[in-house]
Amino acid sequence: MTIEVQKYDLQDYSIFESSKEYDYYLWHPEDRYIILGRANNPEASLETDLVEADQVKVYKRPSGGETVILTPNTLVISVKVKIGNELNTQKYFKEINDKIMDALSTLGVKDLSMKGISDISIGDKKILGSSIYLRKKTLFYHAVLNISESIEVISKYLKHPTKEPDYRKGRSHKEFVTSLLTEGYKLSVKDLIPALNTSLSLD
Amino acid sequence: MKYIFKFPDIGEGLDEGTIVEWLVKKGQHVESGDSLVTMETDKVVADIPSPKTGTLVTLFGKEGETIHVGDALVEIEIEGVEGEAAIAEVEKGSDMEAIEEEGAGVVGTLEIAGNSAILSSSNEGVDDAVEDKREVKTKSLATPVSRAVAKDLGVDINNVKGTGPAGRVMKDDILRYAESGSKPKVSSSSASVGSVEQLVEVEPLSQMRKTIAKNMIQSKHNAAHMTVFEEVEISELDRIRKKYKDQYAADGTKLTYLAFIIKATALSLKKFKSLNSEMDMENSNMIYKKYYNIGIAIDTEKGLVVPVIKNADKLSIVEIAAEIQNLSEKARTGKLAMSDFKDGTFTITSYGSIGGLFAVPVINYPQAGILGIGRISKQPVVKDDKLDIGLVLPLSLAVDHRIADGGDATRFINSIMGYLAEPVTLIF
Repeated sequence: MTIEVQKYDLQDYSIFESSKEYDYYLWHPEDRYIILGRANNPEASLETDLVEADQVKVYKRPSGGETVILTPNTLVISVKVKIGNELNTQKYFKEINDKIMDALSTLGVKDLSMKGISDISIGDKKILGSSIYLRKKTLFYHAVLNISESIEVISKYLKHPTKEPDYRKGRSHKEFVTSLLTEGYKLSVKDLIPALNTSLSLD
Repeated sequence: MKYIFKFPDIGEGLDEGTIVEWLVKKGQHVESGDSLVTMETDKVVADIPSPKTGTLVTLFGKEGETIHVGDALVEIEIEGVEGEAAIAEVEKGSDMEAIEEEGAGVVGTLEIAGNSAILSSSNEGVDDAVEDKREVKTKSLATPVSRAVAKDLGVDINNVKGTGPAGRVMKDDILRYAESGSKPKVSSSSASVGSVEQLVEVEPLSQMRKTIAKNMIQSKHNAAHMTVFEEVEISELDRIRKKYKDQYAADGTKLTYLAFIIKATALSLKKFKSLNSEMDMENSNMIYKKYYNIGIAIDTEKGLVVPVIKNADKLSIVEIAAEIQNLSEKARTGKLAMSDFKDGTFTITSYGSIGGLFAVPVINYPQAGILGIGRISKQPVVKDDKLDIGLVLPLSLAVDHRIADGGDATRFINSIMGYLAEPVTLIF
């Protein structure tokens, strides 16, 4: 059987088409979705038998980066900015990740840092991955924050990525990825959304 | 003029990307800002906009191909831009925003091919470049209200100590800070001497100065500079020059010492291939060039330019003299074209006409060497065991020690000196 890969049209993508200069969208998925990076294919990135058996929907996003899984225990953070001819994507990774880290800091999360190209980590373990799609002078950033998803779920569906940041150092999902809950922060979406609203609303 | 647009670092500090999709076709007219190609790097898929308005002459690379930062993406024919305007276009670089981001290198930088310009290298080791530990982060936590108040009062919120939850800066913190006058003050000692405006003059950098600065730093960062100094007695060359200079002056050609030196250098380069080469670290190759194009550094009112005398080994001394004259005139009148700067393989800088004896010239990277010509002067010399008066030319040869060993450099400069000491050998 071949896994059906759908074009990314989940609800956060709607802000890309909006006319606002700056917009953001916080989305708490109600189901499990697997999102392939633009260059990923199911065979190389997924445990296809298990994905099929569990009937997890698979989408391919237009941006780069590796495959991620969205679940009700994660939060999707999407930001859209009109940037003209500028190509400095790292600046936007940093600015937006800074805002997210500000929000998490206000909730008491410690030892946060930006690692690799665009990850946010606690210590040397990843809690958020992000990527950027830049088209028609509009930048679309999206990230997945792991609130409380078990790493077993990630390991179940996703193979070891084809590319990895230096700081991963070959570690497995279980050794490399963590969640706010695992790190001792019992935060819910109800805690996170107001803090992110405040931070992402700032200039 | 033709403009080569190279794949810029799009900010991740990575040095390669994949061509996802061409959005234009060869022969198509594009406006500045039109999307040319969709590129993918590790975390980014981005449309790359055209830096110029013009017609696309060449699209480099196929969809699915991985290219490196600095590789040519497209060649754009910019209609009606020649001569001085072409130089201005080179200096202008691009209509795109070139942004310097700490730890991310220069991004969005566009370059013209053939002027020895190299894109800033990307920052490898992204961990170090990007990592931004919370402990050292100075951005303050603050409420929207306090940020707005700080903005109104012109207060840098990051300098204000917060008294709110988790150190958050509150509105009252801003007001207290503003009232306390914790703003930069001019010290009384400097105030007594005069204002800053009186003591210094600030002038924006010209594009040419920026380009010179960038190329110099590029060279110093990438090449291993080593310099050899020598003196050569050129009385015989002087005698020949004087004998023929009036004859050629009548034909409108100024027979300069530099013409002889260029010829001697070109012939010596043919004997020592390492000095006419460049190192391709990326592909672990040495590139030995079988053409001998000598750049000559010309001091103009706007700054230093280095046009190139092509195939100097094949030109006679008089033809070289005529070409020096031609390029110097174009440099002075701002009429050098892009083609005049292209494909140099070695450079000569002649500061002696102004007054210096020796120097440590900066290599025109990625070339392997540069020869500095000092001031010619009469000096006591020993000829046939007798003290005599000789005409002495000081030479300073800087080489990239990665490419040329000390022996190569010394043998090369000895060869040049041999030709100059016995100029008849330049003819045979």
